[in-house]
Amino acid sequence: MKVLELKNVNKIYNSTEVKVHAVNDVTMDFVEAEFAAIVGPSGSGKTTLLNLIGGLDMPTSGEIIIGGTNLSKLKPSQLIDFRLNNIGFVFQSYNLIPVLTAKENVEFIMTLQKWPEKERDERTFELLWAVGLGDRINSRPTKLSGGQQQRVAVARALASKPKFILADEPTANLDSKAATTLLEIMEKLNHESKITFIFSTHDPRVVKMAHRVITLEDGKVISDDIRELPA
Amino acid sequence: MKEEFKIAWRNLWRNRRRTIITSASVFFAVFFAVIMRSYQLGSYDHMINNFIESFTGYLQVQNVKYQDNPLIDNSFDYSDSIASAISEINKVVSVSPHLESFTLASSGTQTKGAAVIAIDTEKEKNFSDPESKLVKYRITDEAIRRLKDAGAISDNVLEKVKKNLGRSYSSSARLELELGLTDEEKELCMPEILKCSEVSNGFLANDDEGILVSDRLASYLKVAIGDSVILMGQGYHGVSATGIFPVRGIIKMPSPEIDNKLIIMTIPAAQKFYDAEGKITSLVVNLTDKSDRTIKTAKARINSLLPDKNTIAKTWYELNPILYQQIQGDSQSGAAMLALLYFIIFFGIFGTVLMMVSERKREFGVLVAIGMQKKKLKRIITMEMLLLGAIGLVCGLLASVPLILYFYYYPIMLKGELANMMEDWGWDAVMPTAWFGPYFYWQAVIVVLMVVLATIYPLRKIGKLKEIEALKG
Repeated sequence: MKVLELKNVNKIYNSTEVKVHAVNDVTMDFVEAEFAAIVGPSGSGKTTLLNLIGGLDMPTSGEIIIGGTNLSKLKPSQLIDFRLNNIGFVFQSYNLIPVLTAKENVEFIMTLQKWPEKERDERTFELLWAVGLGDRINSRPTKLSGGQQQRVAVARALASKPKFILADEPTANLDSKAATTLLEIMEKLNHESKITFIFSTHDPRVVKMAHRVITLEDGKVISDDIRELPA
Repeated sequence: MKEEFKIAWRNLWRNRRRTIITSASVFFAVFFAVIMRSYQLGSYDHMINNFIESFTGYLQVQNVKYQDNPLIDNSFDYSDSIASAISEINKVVSVSPHLESFTLASSGTQTKGAAVIAIDTEKEKNFSDPESKLVKYRITDEAIRRLKDAGAISDNVLEKVKKNLGRSYSSSARLELELGLTDEEKELCMPEILKCSEVSNGFLANDDEGILVSDRLASYLKVAIGDSVILMGQGYHGVSATGIFPVRGIIKMPSPEIDNKLIIMTIPAAQKFYDAEGKITSLVVNLTDKSDRTIKTAKARINSLLPDKNTIAKTWYELNPILYQQIQGDSQSGAAMLALLYFIIFFGIFGTVLMMVSERKREFGVLVAIGMQKKKLKRIITMEMLLLGAIGLVCGLLASVPLILYFYYYPIMLKGELANMMEDWGWDAVMPTAWFGPYFYWQAVIVVLMVVLATIYPLRKIGKLKEIEALKG
């Protein structure tokens, strides 16, 4: 089942002198439970594409359709609600709320979605155990290592039961061991919960684990290598 | 809302030192503003109580010409029924008839111009209560000699008593304060000092033909109880008013200006002296509530009761425009000082806001990116800012409460040069605080307004926030 469709998506930045075609006529689909990596050299448009898919930026032309909804048609406040209920984000530098504990950070998304307290608690514990942090639920981000913080960020991204998770260079700030642990957890969650993961990455470990590798260059998709379709 | 409050509260303590410094600046601003304002308003209130309640009253019924031309010719007929009707008006405490004029007072070779206030001794008890101002203690050579002979007080205390030679007091508390004794000295010596300095005094009977003389005037005229004073002046419609009056008592007026020239007698005696049968110059009305609204309402009600168009009710500030303007001017300069203080504090708060926005731009971006509506984020920031102001505000108000209460019940009694200077200005030399009123609650309004004003900046920033740019930091 398609969770995301991109139709002739373009993103052009107009600076004073130069026109930068950051994303150039990209058309592709993502289906449920995909574990996809977008790769390419710096400046190839990976992050821009991820921002467009995440509704954080609007394409200059083309359509991005998530679960039948065209993002361009949504008002700003509708777009925020849409992101809340449909997209999970994992950022390169974790971006947890520093004043909240691990549990509260995960719970926060569900609070925004107005989940009942009991269900919220149950899911928070379930997710934190799933990312291996069941014993650190009451720790604030400053008391957690980078790898642990990124795992909390993954749990937070999953909390809203999104259609897919966008992860922008999630392993870039992690050491080798932490990166491997994180990737194993994400792959496991992808397998168990059937949630689509879309990464932008330089990390060969991510590329190795990905079921699909999309290569960008100068904003264009130059290859889309589907290694294994989700079951 | 609970979640938003939790985040706002925790955000506040992310930079503990900065929050403490900002809250402390609000705390000190509120604390000093409340104390300053309380003392200022307390002083006005005291001045009004001292001067107005014992002299002018909050309202006076007068002949329309009397204020501009305060002659006995501009008096009016006293009617007991109108006085009773006025006393029935809501919030009226007392209605006291006065017949006021001027005279020359003479005794032996001494002569001085004096103000005569003729009163109804019974009704006046509810107004200026002159009986409470009778001199009870006087430091004289005789009193000092008796203290020395008794041998019950130390040389040090005796020296302190000698410094107040010639002064008189209508209460033991004032005498005690003026002497400046230590607690131990008070306990040991005050009973003996009071005993030796006590003086006998008298008061006016209902239809008395005698007079009360203010302390400083009595000293000038060199008269004491039992002596006679000759009064000479002009009576009603230009008749000559001359009479000899026995001194029944000496009173100590709080205002030195009044203490220098006051003679009190009964209304019948004054009407006879000035040949103004049935006339009074004013009907003094006192109220329970001193608010402007009450005064204006009472004035309108009184005016509606007056049958004669030549008589009119006037407020204390119409009767004392200079005093009123003096209070208003002083109050406004005090308010300007506070405005300056708050203006400076505002920039402290605004500085904190600027830092906070700059530090958390990326975080705002993340919150909106993961699905928090901007209005919710704005609510959190507003809450955070209000909490920041509220900590300083509540602490400032709480810290000022005990001081206000203490100095309301135990006002600072001024001594020395400052006290003399205030007395020369005609003010009683005490510094009380004002009871909690709008000035107290207004600090909360000001702080909230400052915070709201400072919060406009982050709210605008959030409103214009673009997730992509904010996420770049």
